Amino acid sequence: MDRKNILKWLKEPGKMGHKYSLWAVYFCTGCGIIEVPPTITSQWDAERFGVIPVATPRQANLFMITGYVSVKTLKAIIRTYEQMPEPKYTVAFGSCPINGGMYWDSYNTIKHIDKYIPIDGWIAGCMPRPEAIFIGVTKLWMMIDKGAATGYIRYRKNYKFYRRNQEKLFGKLPWPPLYPVDEKENKNG
Amino acid sequence: MVIKIIEFIFSPFLAFIIGVLFLGLFRKIVARIHQRYGPPIIQPLLDVIKLFHQKGFSHGALFDLGLILSLAGSIVVILFIPFGGICPLKSSGGLLVILYTMLFLPLGIALSGGEGANPNISIGISRKLILSLGYEVPFLLILLSTMSFYRTISIVDIVNSQKNFHWTLFSPLFLSGIAYFMILPAMLGMRPFDIVSAPQEISSGPAVEYGGKYLGLFHIQHSFSIFIMIALFVDLFLGGGENIFYFFLKMLTIFFIMVLIHSVFPRLRLEQALRYLWKWPTIFAFLGVIISKVVR
Amino acid sequence: MDEELKRKIEKIYKDTEVEFPERNRMVVKTKKASILSILEFLKREGFRQLKAISCVDWIKECEFELIYHLAPLNSPLHIMVKIRIERKNAETETILKIFENAKVYEREIHELFGVKFKGNPDLSPLFLENWHDLPPFRKDFDTRKYVKKTFDEIPSVEDRNERT
Repeated sequence: MDRKNILKWLKEPGKMGHKYSLWAVYFCTGCGIIEVPPTITSQWDAERFGVIPVATPRQANLFMITGYVSVKTLKAIIRTYEQMPEPKYTVAFGSCPINGGMYWDSYNTIKHIDKYIPIDGWIAGCMPRPEAIFIGVTKLWMMIDKGAATGYIRYRKNYKFYRRNQEKLFGKLPWPPLYPVDEKENKNG
Repeated sequence: MVIKIIEFIFSPFLAFIIGVLFLGLFRKIVARIHQRYGPPIIQPLLDVIKLFHQKGFSHGALFDLGLILSLAGSIVVILFIPFGGICPLKSSGGLLVILYTMLFLPLGIALSGGEGANPNISIGISRKLILSLGYEVPFLLILLSTMSFYRTISIVDIVNSQKNFHWTLFSPLFLSGIAYFMILPAMLGMRPFDIVSAPQEISSGPAVEYGGKYLGLFHIQHSFSIFIMIALFVDLFLGGGENIFYFFLKMLTIFFIMVLIHSVFPRLRLEQALRYLWKWPTIFAFLGVIISKVVR
Repeated sequence: MDEELKRKIEKIYKDTEVEFPERNRMVVKTKKASILSILEFLKREGFRQLKAISCVDWIKECEFELIYHLAPLNSPLHIMVKIRIERKNAETETILKIFENAKVYEREIHELFGVKFKGNPDLSPLFLENWHDLPPFRKDFDTRKYVKKTFDEIPSVEDRNERT
């Protein structure tokens, strides 16, 4: 906390609150979750940045997708993401969610995660070290400051396209749409 | 009159500030024990500010009302507790009113969480109610012993008769003080007894469906309840305080010891906790009742 | 003990071969029809633990090879009972009556290789989601083609925004 920030706090308490209190949902996909325990415990201590893991998506506003995403996991990811309260930020972690990584020709692994849910930031590497997570978090702070972390707004705006992509993969989804989907346009586009 | 009104507004606000500060200190001390740097002390305040700027989901009318009931109950209790010379409601039967109103704290959360329809909530609430049943028995005996020792049910009178270091903890009633100290972690929901909000078992228990401003209210209620439990201990056994500063210092000492206990002990199971609460604290509290009868 | 067991098996089951590829490993090659009785016999001999069922696709010989891994609880011997089944209309008897934990293994092999297990009540998909293609672990399944067909076909949402 900087003393220079006090004016910012008085001006935009909401934005600063989102910035300095990122609660990450404890969702483990793939091997990247191995990097998270050293990040949140004594060695690298993420709590000094206000980043703590929470057990339920209702309380979280940061979603870290750690490692490769199989088709079945993607379903759980979408459900978790839609349960999180707005504003919410997603960070894809490792090279597998970016383009498939070493699973680029696997029959059951998602290649580009941003086709199904919006992603605010990417951390490349296989695996990225905990320092990379902190650099990612500070980049996310800058994005929130500038108002560039708009993943949830894009999701609301383009929901029918995201939903269409999800349904291409899963067939009919068992849960109702989060935002209203215009049926006519969906058929044409 | 104006001073009275200021006291009415000021005391819940001060209780909130102290409770939030304690939560921040809690996280900082635990971090230092883990050899971490830890978050800034005002981190819980930042969290509450953030939560109030987030979208929340309501699960029905009772979901909102139960939370408000719990919050209102804790504010009423705070108005009855004298701290450092400030006591907005100096009623003659203060302790009894506190006793009854303190029931609203777990009950409101239980009512509210019941609307959430999540299995984790119902497990957490049943744990919370059973745990409160566990500490309620020694707690009632402790209050009975202090009331019969001082021959009054007014908490202000109890504080006044402990002036000049005639603290109850150093009187023949010290066994009751020890019993209160032993049940204090259970009342605060701290580590040997944090079975209610066990994040690893039942994903933070009753708070699992709360998000956004509802979780913010939940946190405020938690900070209020921390303030109430410790302030009551300081009032009954450590002689209150001449001014707010001394009162705060005494509360800080108690809270610091509680955090130390929190950071070393593992979590008990529910029936272990209940067995403990109904054994040693109850025995000590019962001895306290007998002593208070014999001495007077 | 091993040699004794070998003699016993070869005496009862005429058309089986027993080999020892290395120390504490025993391979029993048998016919599809006698798998149930040989497993039952081995269970009575003390091999009470079914560790896994694995499957190999021998595409040139047009056969699947099912391998039942058995182990006793008190000695380091590991037995692999191998049977060959035809690749077309691949099906065999379930061994649920002898080893109850075979349920999930059979379900998995049915999903990934397409081998049918007669008598297993639950052969619903375990890992795959919305699958209409060949079973993915067969040798003639082309992963790269499948990836191009399913994942690369899905358009990117963000790029669509940039173009318009």
